[in-house]
Amino acid sequence: MEKNTKQITFRILRYDPEENSPPHFQEYIVPASHGTTVLDGLFYIKENLDGTLTFRSSCRMAICGSCGVLVNNYPHLACHTQIEEFHSSKLTIKPLPNMAVLKDLVVDLTLMFNNHKSVKPYIIRDDIGELARPTREFAQKPQELNEFLQFTYCIKCGICVAACPTSASDKAFLGPQALAQCYHYCADSRDGGEPERFTVVSAEHGLWHCHLAGACSEACPKGVDPALAIQLLKGRLVARALGLGKRQQPSAIVPPQTEIKPKVPVPEFNIKNVKKGK
Amino acid sequence: MRDTYLRIWQLFTGVAVAVLLGIHIVMLHLTRLFGANAADLTSWESMLDRARQGALATVYIALLAFGLYHGLYGLRGIILELSPSHTTIRVINWVFIILGIIVFIGGTYVPIALLSS
Amino acid sequence: MKERNPRQNYLGARGWLWGGNYKLERYLYLLHRVTGLGLILFVMIHLIVTTIFRIQGQDIWEAAMALLSNPWFKVGEYLVVLAFVYHGLNGLRLTIQELGLAMGKPIPPVYPWKDALRKQRPITTVILAIIVILGVIFLFSYLQGGR
Repeated sequence: MEKNTKQITFRILRYDPEENSPPHFQEYIVPASHGTTVLDGLFYIKENLDGTLTFRSSCRMAICGSCGVLVNNYPHLACHTQIEEFHSSKLTIKPLPNMAVLKDLVVDLTLMFNNHKSVKPYIIRDDIGELARPTREFAQKPQELNEFLQFTYCIKCGICVAACPTSASDKAFLGPQALAQCYHYCADSRDGGEPERFTVVSAEHGLWHCHLAGACSEACPKGVDPALAIQLLKGRLVARALGLGKRQQPSAIVPPQTEIKPKVPVPEFNIKNVKKGK
Repeated sequence: MRDTYLRIWQLFTGVAVAVLLGIHIVMLHLTRLFGANAADLTSWESMLDRARQGALATVYIALLAFGLYHGLYGLRGIILELSPSHTTIRVINWVFIILGIIVFIGGTYVPIALLSS
Repeated sequence: MKERNPRQNYLGARGWLWGGNYKLERYLYLLHRVTGLGLILFVMIHLIVTTIFRIQGQDIWEAAMALLSNPWFKVGEYLVVLAFVYHGLNGLRLTIQELGLAMGKPIPPVYPWKDALRKQRPITTVILAIIVILGVIFLFSYLQGGR
């Protein structure tokens, strides 16, 4: 069955650091049909039209976070975005803003990763021995998991940082990704590292430069809602500063099982019976 | 945590300014709806009348204090988001504190002086 | 290998104005900033009028009031009142939402999801409606009083 193929113009902002020329737009004609994603289009260009086009991709299923680009002035994951949804025969593709461009559509995510590391995105507890050599799991109810589960879906694609108006001008701002992950770990009932992380996020260029523009949550391709996480973090910080609310102790390890009952009476296995054919 | 305390004050002064400035604006603008003439409200005698009331003087001084804090903190936030250098940030902090204190002193002198006019 | 020169791609303060085709709340934040700056500017002028001009006696006061009764100043005054109404009410909305009080709980992101800020649209719409209504009331007050 012949697919209904349209000719779509991809207008891509090119930049080569090894040339001394400023960034410029270059147009390519890409055949697209129902189901063709922007990433498919970029691969078509690289394989058939211009091998020098540079972009990041890996999983092509919106889980690795590599392929964030600006399509028609809105950040998308290229693998996750159908060409059809724009209802246009011309797509303008630019690299994500608010990050340095290494080449063409490839941006430098180092600053974002450094900000992420600075909020200590791991479980912090007093019982270091248990963390180093775990003996049992930590007790956590499903309701406690639901308090932060949404924020664990972050794939670190950088689209929220590209959307944030504060990140546009404030280079030292931690960014919605790092702040949301800070809340993710603070809200985890197994964690006891709130005081340490609060000194990082309540510093200058930290949490309080967020003004709830909400563009990060709007653009997030995984529905992580960093704006919600940041406002909940602000609530926690204010409650801590005012001395309101009780701080919960990190959850303890599950107590050892005292009794093991077999569900079904199963005869004991004896190798001698097997050899004798019984 | 210092920034958190500054921000809590911002929220508190925001609410306080909203209430006090609301009173001020309703007093001076919406009274027209009830028949008071504009010229009457800004005449010298009417102004002196209001200036002699202690309650209003308190409202104005409180409004000045809260409004100055709220406005200067907001302006400082906007400037900080433009990524200035560390020295610039320190200079701005001190300039705003000193400016705020000077304007507050200057601004409270007049209502207090006019109380006994 | 040649040294790479990464191209700085920050939108800068222009990114506050427009960074892409985003929804309403980003522009409410922008308007909050603009009205805040406008109010600071007005307060500086207003403080000069109500302190320096007020303390110098009746003649100077009445001359200042005569100057300020110019229709262009009336328009400016109305805009300042409108700016205060917007900044105050939007600020109250931001205060409640920024403390995490009205933002709701985290949900499993099952497509099609609505993020917390979009779910608060009813509150935002009510606040914007109140701002518009108060703006109209003040407009009538200005037109009637003739001040």
